[in-house]
Amino acid sequence: MRLPRRGVGRIVLGLVAAALALFPLTGSATAYRETVLIQIFLLAVMAGGWNIISGYTGYVSLGQSAFLGIGAYTVGILSLHVAVSPLLLAPLGGIAAALIAIILGAVIMRTRGHSFVIITIAFLFLMQALALNLPGITGGSNGITLPLPHWSNDTQQLPFYYSLLALMAISIVLSWWIRRSKFGTGLIAIREDEDKAAAIGVRTSVYKIVSFTASAVLVGVAGGVYAYFLTFIDPRGMFDILVSVQIVLAALLGGRGTLWGPVVGAFIILPLSEATNASSQGTHFVLFGGLLMAVVLFLPRGLVPTLNALWARRGGPVPRRPATVVAEPVPDAPLEDVQKHDERPLLELDGLVKRFGGVTAVDDCTFEVRRGSITGLIGPNGSGKTTIFNLVSGMARADSGRVHLAGERIDRMVPWERAYLGMGRTFQITRLFRQMTVFENVVAPLHGFSWRQLGADAVSGPEAQRAEELLDFVGMAEFASHRAEHLSFGQQKLVELAQILMLEPKLILLDEPAGGINPTAIDRMTELIMRLNRQGVTFLIVEHNMPMVLGLCDPVMVLAEGRCIAQGHPQEIQANPAVLDAYLGRGWGGATERLGV
Amino acid sequence: MTHLAQTLLLGLLIGGVYALMASGLTLIFGVMNVINVAQGALLILAALFTFELWTRTGMDPLVAIVVTTPLMFALGWVIYRLFVARVRNAPISMTVLLTFALAITLEGVMGVVWKNVFRSVTPGYFTRSFHVAGLFIPQAQLYGCGVALLMLGLLYVLLTKTWSGRAIRAASENAQGARLVGVNVGGVAALTFAVGVATTGAGGSILSVLYSFFPASHYLWISRLLGIIVLGGMGSLPGAFIAALMLGVAEAMTQTYISTRWATVVPYIVILVVLLIRPQGLMGAKLREDVAA
Repeated sequence: MRLPRRGVGRIVLGLVAAALALFPLTGSATAYRETVLIQIFLLAVMAGGWNIISGYTGYVSLGQSAFLGIGAYTVGILSLHVAVSPLLLAPLGGIAAALIAIILGAVIMRTRGHSFVIITIAFLFLMQALALNLPGITGGSNGITLPLPHWSNDTQQLPFYYSLLALMAISIVLSWWIRRSKFGTGLIAIREDEDKAAAIGVRTSVYKIVSFTASAVLVGVAGGVYAYFLTFIDPRGMFDILVSVQIVLAALLGGRGTLWGPVVGAFIILPLSEATNASSQGTHFVLFGGLLMAVVLFLPRGLVPTLNALWARRGGPVPRRPATVVAEPVPDAPLEDVQKHDERPLLELDGLVKRFGGVTAVDDCTFEVRRGSITGLIGPNGSGKTTIFNLVSGMARADSGRVHLAGERIDRMVPWERAYLGMGRTFQITRLFRQMTVFENVVAPLHGFSWRQLGADAVSGPEAQRAEELLDFVGMAEFASHRAEHLSFGQQKLVELAQILMLEPKLILLDEPAGGINPTAIDRMTELIMRLNRQGVTFLIVEHNMPMVLGLCDPVMVLAEGRCIAQGHPQEIQANPAVLDAYLGRGWGGATERLGV
Repeated sequence: MTHLAQTLLLGLLIGGVYALMASGLTLIFGVMNVINVAQGALLILAALFTFELWTRTGMDPLVAIVVTTPLMFALGWVIYRLFVARVRNAPISMTVLLTFALAITLEGVMGVVWKNVFRSVTPGYFTRSFHVAGLFIPQAQLYGCGVALLMLGLLYVLLTKTWSGRAIRAASENAQGARLVGVNVGGVAALTFAVGVATTGAGGSILSVLYSFFPASHYLWISRLLGIIVLGGMGSLPGAFIAALMLGVAEAMTQTYISTRWATVVPYIVILVVLLIRPQGLMGAKLREDVAA
């Protein structure tokens, strides 16, 4: 059922494109209809831009219309000083929008969802205030009047029509290209779980800035064209919150995060806006505000995904990707010389301290993980195990102390740099990208960062092959095309292991690999750990399952109140009275069986 | 020197009023992790209610608080039950879009009912002021600030001395922990939202005397309030109080020494600078994210 559907889609797309391209030449073209279409194209460009930052990346912007104004003002101001057709100046509007997006990006780099929304609101109104308050440059509330179009009357609005149609086409291609590149996968990963994305090597700061810039640039160009089309711009019209509402509404109604959603939304919202234009401004606001509320409450996924789902149901189940069988897959993990003597330990923690308010979660913690070992980290709840993982993997910063990985100091590095050095970590509660398939999850990790990589195909051939091998290795190959959220907890743990193996890590931090999964899965996990270890991968494992720890790990570190209070062979640990005190309170020394052994 | 003292005094007086208005926004964020973008529109709505009461019955706008506060409390409760409760489990981006949509809708409704004209409430003391030690203190500002501080005091008592208030604070500090000790966190969220919106009742009544306003003024107000809670640290009530005074003074200084036009830009600058330099604000907590999530 997939092929015919795709064929139908292509035919419809071709017909619509041809109709739009030829429309002005037909008899039914009137100036009014062309104006409406011009505005639809404009809205589609803006909604498409919004979709990159807010749909793909998940950062909601309520000030996207500011970039329209920036493009318009750039072209408007330039047109007063240079004798070039404003239409040719329009790309400069895009450059201005992109530059300002990069500057704002410096702010968003450090913030998460809520702050970003606030910034975008503040940004829109700040731009409006600047346009009002700097009359020397912008004409203040009087606005700017651009020269009239220099072409003959016969040409009418055609240059605007085709410019904006072309921009809409470019915006669709840009969205399409982003979605199928490594960059796009990284953006989705950020939307789904930003910390996790950073932990598997996505350089989130750059991704976010580039995404915001990509969402602004075409809007800026379109703003330049639109300014010339209007021949008059003023602060209230160009930095209008209602335009932002329309952008959000179009993208959301069509389907955020989809390729066609913003375009479909624009073709619905703008005519609706035109039809109700005659009514008072109040009713306009009620209509759009109410519609936006309704979409958020009742159609949060938008039209395109909802209709797609209906179509898919009608067409029967989507065929499952056949599981590839690879004979005896052995992941070629980096085989280091497993010389355990006279080498520096792979991981060294030195005097780590982390406080949360008045609580000292990690208190002068020092220990090391030998190369090639499976080191266990145990301790009662609240003893600081997960916090240590966060400090080592870079999700939290230590207040003091040092961490070295293979002799290199890493405690000031961001998470992805640590991933590039060969560190992978899993989470106590698995953090797969829930909306992605198992396969997409496994190919998401990145070994390094380069600008060229951003544009590369989301999955290269060797990567796909490697991902299949790894899924086979953990025994999850047949689930490759399932969505991660549909897996059981134990399956998710296995997939998460395969995912970080993509990083070809030297050191793997496992946070409770056996927690909450069934005994069969625990055995499988244990076997996988031992096989990987034989190939040279070093492990640091936090685990509460004592038989597993004592059977698998050597040495074992014991943490209590944020400090490493004991370390040694499992047998020594079992016999250590200090350990029993830490677990069971004072006076329990000797009650070995209480440790579950 | 007197000039500076005068500016500081006016800034602090208005800052006290801002503190009351921002308290609801930061309270709602602290407990529910929701930015109520509609808070500004609700503020203007309360101001319009006050205007109606004053023109129809001659009721003093500051006395009108006893009517507007319960009214806005009820409205907050209804908004929570009808809309916000439905997106409690949705991604945070959806909740903010919902409150944004609510703000736009409210603006539209106010535009239809009250038209887009500037109004203000002008009781007898509107133009009078006291003169103390060479400083002049506009009576409206003084009373407004006094009433705002009184309401903040009541809010403080509510939050610290009553069981419901302690539940709200517990839920804001640690929702899971609160649930464990038997707090009905869902019910607390409704109560918090209603209390948070109720602060716009008193805030709006005071606003109606101190400023002229019309439906679209809510953007200015929500920006100001967002600036305050960002500066104070999102979710922190003491932070919001201090930040409100600071913003009041900063605006007054800009007004006196630069120009009124640029005073409106202060909140936007505050937001951008704070989020760039110290995203957690003055008193915002940095939490372990994997647990908070």
